[in-house]
Amino acid sequence: MRKIGDALEAVVVVAILLVLVHTFLDDFSILAEWNVGARSLLIWTGLAFDLFFTVEFLVRMYLALSARQGTEYFFRQRGWVDFLASIPLLLLNSLPHALALLAGAGMLSGLGSFLNVLKVIKAVRIARILRLLRVVKLFRGIRYARSPMAQGHVSTITTIAVSILVLWTLGASVLEVAGIFPGLERPFLEGQSQRAFQITQGGTGPGLAARAAAMAAADPTILVVRAKGGAVVYSRYPAAVYGERFLPWDYGYYLANGVEVFADERPISVASSREALVALVAVVLIVLAFLLLYAPRFAMQISDPIHVMRRGMAESDYNLEVLIPRGKDKDDVFELAALYNSVYLPLKDRTGSEGTAAPAALKIEDLQDLARRT
Amino acid sequence: MRAVDPVSDPVSRFAMRLMEAPALRALPALQKEEQALNVLRSNGPQLVPVFTSLGMEVSRGWREPAALVSRAIRAAADRMMEAEISELLSSRLELSFFPVLSEGRSAPERAREELRSLISRAARHPVARSALSGSLAAARSDIIDKYIPQAFERKKYVYVEISRVQRLSLAAAQLCDLVRFIVLARPAAYLFIATGETQDREAGYSPLQEQYLTKILAGIGSSAPSFPQTLLALGLRSTLAYQPGASNVEATSRLGAIMAHRGRALGPAVVVDRGADSPDKSWFNVQRRNARWRGLDGRMLDELYTIASENGW
Repeated sequence: MRKIGDALEAVVVVAILLVLVHTFLDDFSILAEWNVGARSLLIWTGLAFDLFFTVEFLVRMYLALSARQGTEYFFRQRGWVDFLASIPLLLLNSLPHALALLAGAGMLSGLGSFLNVLKVIKAVRIARILRLLRVVKLFRGIRYARSPMAQGHVSTITTIAVSILVLWTLGASVLEVAGIFPGLERPFLEGQSQRAFQITQGGTGPGLAARAAAMAAADPTILVVRAKGGAVVYSRYPAAVYGERFLPWDYGYYLANGVEVFADERPISVASSREALVALVAVVLIVLAFLLLYAPRFAMQISDPIHVMRRGMAESDYNLEVLIPRGKDKDDVFELAALYNSVYLPLKDRTGSEGTAAPAALKIEDLQDLARRT
Repeated sequence: MRAVDPVSDPVSRFAMRLMEAPALRALPALQKEEQALNVLRSNGPQLVPVFTSLGMEVSRGWREPAALVSRAIRAAADRMMEAEISELLSSRLELSFFPVLSEGRSAPERAREELRSLISRAARHPVARSALSGSLAAARSDIIDKYIPQAFERKKYVYVEISRVQRLSLAAAQLCDLVRFIVLARPAAYLFIATGETQDREAGYSPLQEQYLTKILAGIGSSAPSFPQTLLALGLRSTLAYQPGASNVEATSRLGAIMAHRGRALGPAVVVDRGADSPDKSWFNVQRRNARWRGLDGRMLDELYTIASENGW
C-alpha cells in the first residue's frame, strides 16, 4: 500500500514538473506567435493537467475527510494550495478555453455572439497565475532535506513567499480590471471600442467600406468589418490567416447598427503573457534560492546541530560534539551546542556505562539472522 | 567441562560467525567480543528463539544458554587475538627504544615472546582482559603514529615533558614504539585485581595505587626478565591517576594512558553526521574536561585536541 502511495506521489511530482514546462510554453507560445495548431494542443494538455490536479485534490480531500482530518489536510498540509491550483483553474481557465476551441471551428462564420461569452473568459484569465502555486506542491513530493524540520520549514517559507507573489499578482490584475489600478488593457480596449463605434455608427449604408478602411488604416488591430449576415466589407488578412493565427479569444467583437467589427486583442494577451512569464521566472528563482541558498544554511545553523545533540542525548554510544562554525558562537542554537559540548557530554562520559566505550556496531537482528543461517 | 569441537559444535560455529560478522569486521578481537557480549547481555530474553535454533536447552530460561554462547564467543576471541598479537609484535613493535632505556642493550631475542606471554596472561584475567581491549585497539590503530610525531614536531608540552622533564632522548619513531609498548604492558597492572574491586564499567581503566604497583612490579618483572623493571614500570604506572603539578607519573606513561583510553573508545568507522565534530576531536575535548576525574594529563589532552583540530582529524 505504501509502495502504491509512493508511486502516486512520484507521478504527482512528475506531473507538476511537466505542468511547469507547460505553463512556460503556454505563455511563450503567445509571445512567439505560434500557430493555432500548437496553441490548441497546449490548451488541451492544459485541460488534462487541470483535470488531473482536480482529481488529485478531490481524492486527497475525500481521504482526509474519511479519516476526519479534513481541516488538518486543508490548512496544515496545504490542501488549500491543491485546491487553488486545480478547481479554479479548471473552471475559469482550461475548461472555458477548451469549450471555446470546440465551438470556435469556422470562427468568423457564426461565432459572433459566442465571443461575448469569451469576454467573461478573458476577464477571469488572470486566474491563470494560480498555476504557479503548483510549484509549492513539489515540496511535498521531494525529500531534499534529511531533517523533517528543515523540510517543513523551507517548505513553509517558500509557500508563503510564492503565495504572496501569486496572490498579489492576481489581486493587482483584479484591481486593474476593476479600473482601480491604471493599466494598458483599459485604454487599449477603449481606443479599439471607439474606432469600432466610428465604423458601426453609420450602419450598413454605402459609406461602410470607406469608414472601415479608414479606421483600419488608423488602427492596425481592426481585422474584419462586415454587415451582420452579409458580406465582408473589409479584411486585413486573407481568410486562411485567421484560421492559422487566431484562436477564438484573440478577437474583440463589436456589434452595432447591424455592423460587426472583429478586432485583434492579441496585444493584450502578449502583455499578459509577458507578465505571467516574469512571475513564473520570479517564482522559480524564489524556489531555487530557498532550496539552494537558504535550505543548506538552515541545515547548517539549525537542524544539523539539533540532530547531533538529539542523537547524543538519545544514544548512549554517540558522543560526537557539535561543530560550532567560526563566528556563530553567539547564535542561540550554537550557545546551546556549546553547553552540550562542555557540560552534557563530559557529564555523560562520567556517568554513562558506555561513556567512553566503542560505538555499538552489532544489533539483535544480526544475531537472529546469523542463527537462521547456522 | 566437555571439550567442544569448534567446527562441528553449532554454538561455537555461531560464535565464530558472529565474530566474523561484517558489522564487526574492522574491530580487533576483544572489541568484537565486547560488542557481541553487550548484545547478549542487553537482549537476553529476546534471544530465546536464537538459542532454540542452536539446539540449546531454554526450559530454564535464557541465562544458561547465554552463558554458553558467551564462553564460545570468548574462545573465538582468544583464537583471533592470538593472531593479532603475533602480527603486532612482529610488525608493529620494533622495540627500537630498548637501547635508550636499557643502557645501550638491544632487545634480546626472547623479549617479544615474554611480552606475548604477559599479554596472553592478561587476556586470561577478566579485569586485565578488559584493559587489554583498549590497549590492543590503540596499538593496532594509527592513533599513536598519527599524534605522537605531530606532538614531537610542535615542541610544546608533550615534547618538553618527555625530552626535558623525563629526559628521554628519543626520536619520534622510537617514542611511538615506546608508547605502543606501554599500552601493551599496561593491562598487566590489573593481573592481581579481583573482579569487583573496580566497578564493572570501569574494569581495566580505574586508576591504581602506587604502593600496589610497587608490590606487583617484581612479580611482573620475573615473568618478563628481558625487560628492565624501569621499562615495565612505565607500562604499569600508566594506570596511576595523574595529579597536575605533582609529577607523580612519567610523561610517557601519561601518554600511554591517554592512548589506551582512546583505544577503548575506538569503534568501527563512525559516520560523522553533518554538523558534528570528528570522533578524535570530540573525544579529546570531552576528556580534557574530565581529565582530572579520569586521572589523565589535561595539558596533553589539550595539545592532542589542538593537533586534531589543526589537521582536521
